[in-house]
This record gives sequence, C-alpha cells and structure tokens, in this order.
Amino acid sequence: MAIKLDYVIRETGTNLFRNVTLTLASVLTVVVSLTLFGSALLLQQGVENANDRFKGGIEFIVYMQPAVSAEQKASIERDLDSNPDVRSKTYVDQDETYEEFKELFRESPQLIDMVSPEILPPSFRVAPRIQDPDVVKALGDQFASKPGVREVVFAFEVVQRIQETFNKIGVRFLAAAVLLLVAALMLILNTIRVAMFARRREIEVMKLVGATNWFIRVPFIVEGIIQTLLGAAVAVGFMTFLIRPFIDELSEDKILPIFQGFTVTDGNLVFTNILVVGVAALIGAIGSAVAVSRFLDV
Amino acid sequence: MIKLENVSKVYKGDVTALHDASVEVQKGEFVFLVGASGSGKSTFLRLVNKEETPEHGRIYVAGKDINTLSSWKVPYLRRNIGSVFQDFKLLINKTVYENVAFALEVIGRPRHVVRTQVPAILELVGLAKKMDNFPNELSGGEQQRVSIARAFVNRPLILLADEPTGNLDPATSVGIMRLLDRINRTGTTVVMATHDRSIVDTMRRRVIELDRGSIIRDQSRGVYE
Repeated sequence: MAIKLDYVIRETGTNLFRNVTLTLASVLTVVVSLTLFGSALLLQQGVENANDRFKGGIEFIVYMQPAVSAEQKASIERDLDSNPDVRSKTYVDQDETYEEFKELFRESPQLIDMVSPEILPPSFRVAPRIQDPDVVKALGDQFASKPGVREVVFAFEVVQRIQETFNKIGVRFLAAAVLLLVAALMLILNTIRVAMFARRREIEVMKLVGATNWFIRVPFIVEGIIQTLLGAAVAVGFMTFLIRPFIDELSEDKILPIFQGFTVTDGNLVFTNILVVGVAALIGAIGSAVAVSRFLDV
Repeated sequence: MIKLENVSKVYKGDVTALHDASVEVQKGEFVFLVGASGSGKSTFLRLVNKEETPEHGRIYVAGKDINTLSSWKVPYLRRNIGSVFQDFKLLINKTVYENVAFALEVIGRPRHVVRTQVPAILELVGLAKKMDNFPNELSGGEQQRVSIARAFVNRPLILLADEPTGNLDPATSVGIMRLLDRINRTGTTVVMATHDRSIVDTMRRRVIELDRGSIIRDQSRGVYE
C-alpha cells in the first residue's frame, strides 16, 4: 500500500488551515493540559530531589534528660559507637545547646531570659550509615527507651511533611491535567470529524474509485497527531523556559526555606518533555483514530 | 462479467429493493436497466460495486463471489468498476484535469502515468481544451463527460451508469450516449440505469426491466417497453 508522502502533507496542511479556529482550540487545550501535566511531574521530581538532599544528611537527634547521669550518657555513647549502622555521632552539651538556642531565638530575648543551660537537654547528633528512612527510624527507636533519654527526633519527619504537602498539590495538578487531556481528546475528535465533513465529497469520490481505507484515513490521523504535537511543542517551551526557572527561583528563596534543595535537573526536564510529547502523540492518535473509525464509513 | 443468483435486498422498514433477481451480463455487453423509480435499478448497481450487500443470493463480478470479499479488498474491486451518476459528483474546487487525475492519484498511480493518462482520456471525451476549467464553468454535458473520463481513466472492466443523462437535454444526451457506446466498443461492459425512452429505443441493446424489485423482462436488442 503506497501512500504518497507529498499527498499526505498536502491534504493535512489544507485541513489544518481549513478549520483554523477549531484547530486552535484543540491545540490550546493540549498546551494547557500538557503544561499542567508536565509541571506536576516536574514538581514531583523536584520534591524527590529535595528529599535526596535531605537524605544525604539524614540524622536523628537523641535528646537526653538535662539531669542525665554520667553513666547513662557513657552507656548511650558506647551503644552508638558499637552500633555498625551508625556512621558518626556528635555530642552537643548543654552550653552548646544554649548557644544554639540563643541563636535560634535571638529575636525573642525574653524567651532566652527564661532559659538557662541547666534546663536544656544535651544531645547526640547521629549520622547513620544507611539512609533509608525505615532503617533510620528503627535505629533511632532503639535509643528512645534507654535510661536518660528524653526523646529521639528524626530529620526526615520534616522531609516527609514537605513531600506529603507537595504530593497533594501534585495530585490536584494531575487531576486537572487529566480532565483537560480528556477535553483535548474530545476536541481533537471533533476537529477531525469536522475536517471529514468538510471533505465528504472527496471521500465519497475516493471510495468510488477504489482508494484504500488507509489511504483515506491516514491524512486525518496525521492531522490529529500534528495538532497535539504542536500543542506539545508549546508546552515543552513553557516548561523549559517558564516552569523550570520558576522552580529554581523558589529554591533560592531565603524567605521560604521549605523550597531549599528543590531542584529540577536537566535529566528531569528532558524526561518530562519526552513524556509530554509521547502523551501528546498518543492523545492525537487516539482522538483521530476514534473519529476516523466512527465517522468515516469505509 | 456480472452474475446475480437469486439476489434479494431489503432496506429498513421492509422496503424490498430487489427480489430473487438472477441475471448474467457477459463481458463487453451493453445493458439498459429500465423501470419506474424505486424499482431497484440503483440498488442493482450499488450491489455490483458492493456499496450494498444483499440479504440473500450471490453476486459474482469478474468471476469472484463479492459477498465473501473482505472489506479491505473492496477498494480493489472498485478499481475494476467505473461509476457515473446523474449528479456527476465532481469536486468543484478542482479543475477538470485535477478531477480526473484525482481518481488515479488516490489509488497510488505513479505521476508519469497520471501525466500521460489524463490528457489522453480528456482528448477521448472531447475536453482537451477545457482541462484547466473548473466544473462550474462547464455545461451539464461537459461535466458529465468529465465524470465519464474520471470513471474510465483507469480502464475498468465494467462501467456502471446511474441515469447519466437524467439531468441533460436530449441533444446533449445523444453525445453522452455516443461516448458510452465508444467506451463499450473498447470491450468495457456497460450497465446503465435509465428513464430515457428515446435513448433505449434508438440504441437497441439488451434491456432488463425491473418492477418493484423483480426482473420482469430481459430482452436482447430490446426497447423501453
């Protein structure tokens, strides 16, 4: 079955310009939906990267009672040193803790006045060898019930909170993107249907003189795919030149430290863009294929 | 070339378009289908190029049972059958040349074939000088010549004509009939549905008369009634 390339290009070109408003509507819907879709993916990868950075320094802090005895402290230290899962530990005594406290609350002198080194807990800052949150949690929990220990605080709990928050945002983005993609699919389907209606006389003649079914169908399917790929191209532009710089800007924002470590790598961007183009081609192919099989009686 | 065996076709709402029709048309014959509107002439033609499928019976075209033909092979059947209609079915945004060339292009004929065949066929139908005109710049008779050129440019074995002179005045109709006769003389089987009494009576070819879907007369060198 020889379908001439120049024929397909000529027919598709004519069709795209014949329904310019409808084509534009489908393309714009594709742009918006794919930009949302891609942004949600970028955000999610950004969070993962942020988490990775936190992971490098994941640690837990074993806070002891202020009145911990020397034996208790020595026992905890021995346990930490002998534990193969602990990479390193740092002891922070009450005076150092007080300095940290003063630094942290330097805006609230009355709070500092209320506190003295004796009531603050000394602590071990622990860097584990294995950074899997579950392992770290199990390791830290071993120390929670030791005599003289007040509590064990995990850094990744904070990370988890951030991740959960952004996952919630991401899920909503994705839901909106999926809805819009469905709208795009239906618009493509209708655009192709209108294109076929505009060319019904040609189609009738083609059937009459014995053009094969695929010869009649292919230009319409190509038209659908071109529309979504046009949309994808714009969406890729948006993500590369608008969304990614925006995320980078957020991560450098000192006022919102929650975004620190929030980076999108070139690899993330390329992966997302490829995925967006793939989804676009799929939507275009499905929309036009459905239109062709339902409304082109060949 | 065309053989119908006990063919029945019923449309929705129990409209019987063809009832137990059996007929055989030999290669190179010229056959008139006559009968009142709704007698089944058009259905007969539509069954032969598989635009319709019968409820009962078998239809053979060029020795092949077209009932068992898979749908992807139908286009190849139609490449052997040229079709001409009362309303011409020309594409108004294409020139005469482009209309005829279209029929070859969409079945994938190479460009050099299109370039030689189209002018040749337009010469045959007497429109060589109007190649670059658009259909609405032509008279009805000329438009029908274009449509015949389009149907015949691929040199089909069979030409089906559904009231090709239905929209034309008698003098123009004679010209169209001369053209169809000429095409028939090249060995092409022609089946023509018509209401035109004077054409049938003048040509004296085989006449098949249909009445409410049944063949009531099949006469060689026949007349309209």
